[in-house]
Amino acid sequence: MKIYLIQRLAQMLVILLGVLMLTFVLSRILPGSPVEMMLGHRPSPEQIEAVRTELGLDKPIAMQFMVYLKGLAQGDLGTSLHTGQPVTSDLFNRFGATFELTTIALLLVVVMGIPLGVVSAVRQNTLSDHLVRSGSIAGMALPVFLIAMLLQMLFYGQLGWFPLQGRINAEIALDYPFAQRTGLYLVDTLLAGQWPAFKSAVLHLVLPVFTLVMASIAVVTRITRNTMVEVLQQDHIRTLQAYGVSRRRIYYRYALKATLIPLLTVIGLAYGYMLGGSVVVEFIFDWPGMGGYAVGGITRNDFPAVMGVTLLLAVIYLSMNLVIDLLYHLVDPRLELP
Amino acid sequence: MRACQILLLGLILSLSFTVTQARTLTYAMYGDIKDWDPAIAFSLEVLMLANVYEPLLWYNPNAQEGQFTPALATEWTVSDDGLRWTFQLRDGVRFHDGTPFTAEAAKASLDRTRAMKQGAWYIWESVQTIEAPAPLELVITTKTPQPIDLIASSQYGSYIYSPTAAAKGSEWFNRGNAVGTGPYEVRQWSQNQQVVLEANEHYWRGWDANQYDRVILRVVTENATQVQMLLSGEADFISLVPADIVKRVNAEEGLSAYAVPSWKNSQFLINTQKYPTDNKQFRQALTHLWDYETVVNQVYDGYASVAVGPIPKTMWGHNNDLGTVAFDPLRAAELLQASGVPKSDWKVSMAYIGTDEAYKNAALLFQAHAAQIGLEVELLPGEWGVIWNRAKNLNTAPNLQSMTWWPTYPTPSDWLIGMFRTEQNTLFNLSHYTNPEYDRLVTKGAALEGVDREAAIENYKQAQRILTEDAVAIFYADIQSRIARASKVGGVTENPAYNAVFFYDLYEQ
Repeated sequence: MKIYLIQRLAQMLVILLGVLMLTFVLSRILPGSPVEMMLGHRPSPEQIEAVRTELGLDKPIAMQFMVYLKGLAQGDLGTSLHTGQPVTSDLFNRFGATFELTTIALLLVVVMGIPLGVVSAVRQNTLSDHLVRSGSIAGMALPVFLIAMLLQMLFYGQLGWFPLQGRINAEIALDYPFAQRTGLYLVDTLLAGQWPAFKSAVLHLVLPVFTLVMASIAVVTRITRNTMVEVLQQDHIRTLQAYGVSRRRIYYRYALKATLIPLLTVIGLAYGYMLGGSVVVEFIFDWPGMGGYAVGGITRNDFPAVMGVTLLLAVIYLSMNLVIDLLYHLVDPRLELP
Repeated sequence: MRACQILLLGLILSLSFTVTQARTLTYAMYGDIKDWDPAIAFSLEVLMLANVYEPLLWYNPNAQEGQFTPALATEWTVSDDGLRWTFQLRDGVRFHDGTPFTAEAAKASLDRTRAMKQGAWYIWESVQTIEAPAPLELVITTKTPQPIDLIASSQYGSYIYSPTAAAKGSEWFNRGNAVGTGPYEVRQWSQNQQVVLEANEHYWRGWDANQYDRVILRVVTENATQVQMLLSGEADFISLVPADIVKRVNAEEGLSAYAVPSWKNSQFLINTQKYPTDNKQFRQALTHLWDYETVVNQVYDGYASVAVGPIPKTMWGHNNDLGTVAFDPLRAAELLQASGVPKSDWKVSMAYIGTDEAYKNAALLFQAHAAQIGLEVELLPGEWGVIWNRAKNLNTAPNLQSMTWWPTYPTPSDWLIGMFRTEQNTLFNLSHYTNPEYDRLVTKGAALEGVDREAAIENYKQAQRILTEDAVAIFYADIQSRIARASKVGGVTENPAYNAVFFYDLYEQ
């Protein structure tokens, strides 16, 4: 086990280095320079030159990369050209927002998606099966921006139940201040004991979370349903039925277990993907997360920001893969670690 | 599933909202503040800067009242040679941090901005020294005659900030700090979410009951979202107003949307050194192929007016005698024939910012009209950094290059010198235009601005005539900006010199 972990971690390092190198070179050979955009309204040639020198853009790419790696080794990801803030602190701010949003969405997807899949499998080809299937597929088929805007129109425009955008109400955040310890507003507001700020944060989460849930629940219900349908036809299930084991027990205790492996794979990948920033959702709800940061970084040629985002995403993806592989082993000890 | 939903709804409904009592204005802005340091800020920051800081003078677009509104300076004079400007400063003003505002503080601010050589520092480039001979007297001496009054009212680079704060450096500013003398103080900044401004109780102009004591600048990037917030009453002011919702907003009780003049204008610069547009008649032909009215009415939905020369109509020094250029394809065809350029070479390239719908549609229209008389137009959309770099170099430059311009401080020379005076290394003169007579006129005009503005205007008017005669650009649109707001917000002033709303002027009706 130990050896396996060390091997995997070493592999990860190599992959990360490759990813970094590729992004670094790509971002620098593409046409366009970040400097003009960074300097605003109308920079003079001297200013442009000064900034190029300051950023080391006048040096050969290989040397720039070495400088970057050296900084990285000391935990320094550079300064974002657009926000003017250290990339590490930008990422910390942004990641918290995305993490909070997607984790809650994922939990709901799992909590709602699996039972729905089970119901759908058990009552195969009945009305509830059709409803679950078409409902979840519709959520997936509808463009995310459409779901988001429909939800906004209904719950903000018509009913006025939930706020339209942002993470928290500005005035409430002002009157009930809380320190950003974790970057997760739900946690931070509770730690500070600011109940109204917590409520505001919850309300702001509802619509974006629901958008994400609707857009991704289909994956989980489908996988659960299909695997369950197969499992339910197998001999051991019939045997259990013959022994008079209750249906509920058969479904949730025995049959569901078999769906865990494919589910883990799907959920793990979906989570990694969502963490990368649900760009559209974040954009529509002005959610100050990773997605907006990545897109902004790319369109403005903000090299350090792009590198920082890529690095973080690569780490998340790779760790997610590792965790899933380890979980396989836990769920089904017959699957041995290579 | 149902149970879950009901549970959730119940939870949400039980969460009641608390609302604070302060008179609050919410403004939806489409981007966050980037550079907090007033010496560096050179982008969307004007909204914050103009409410938190003050310059020596504000530019006043309403000429009858005098060209300036005194801000931190109360009186000012210039020596006969135009080199020495003396400002009397306002007494009893304090910065938000309590530091008294004095000539020393003003000097320290401006000297720091100049020394940092970032952002808009160059507006002070010709300054020789800044001195503080008395506690409330500031003397600015320049190497060449300069309109220091106009420069001091710039929307970038002219703000006076607390020396105590400046000592803490740019990084301190960039954590969302701002210490000026203006009517509002920055209370809180949540990156990419909002900036909260609160009334500066000790503001020297004092406060009335109906003014706003809190202003929230909320970052809302999507225009549909901004509109929704306005309709629901969550935002009182929005900055992204799509043309097609103006009617919808106006139909709503308690809301209004309208156009305000700006000093932003758009043109296609014509390369005067690249074949075949190095030919004057060929260039003139291009200006007659542009369907000015249609572009303004259709492409800009009427929120622009046909330009008369390079200077917007509401800017001082504008030459209205030039008249508009006629859209006349027949005349264009005649000019092309007369130019002597063989018909096989009737081909031009046209570069513009590809993500900009207005450029794109206007260029397509131009291309279609050109095709009718046998002129081929190759469209080259691209990202600004890329097309700008190409345009600077004659070898890679297109024949036509998009350019939208607005001034740093209120002067016509910003256009005339910035875009058309001969440049050693091309920066913004993307027409690659060089004309000694023209250069002489605008240089002279700039030197006269501070001492004899009327004489400066004469020079500028001649210069504008030369530009239109030489057909160095298709000057096509003076752009209007649109704002939408709750009608209960009164006191909205329009000042094209600042890309901002002055919250101090507003009150609740």
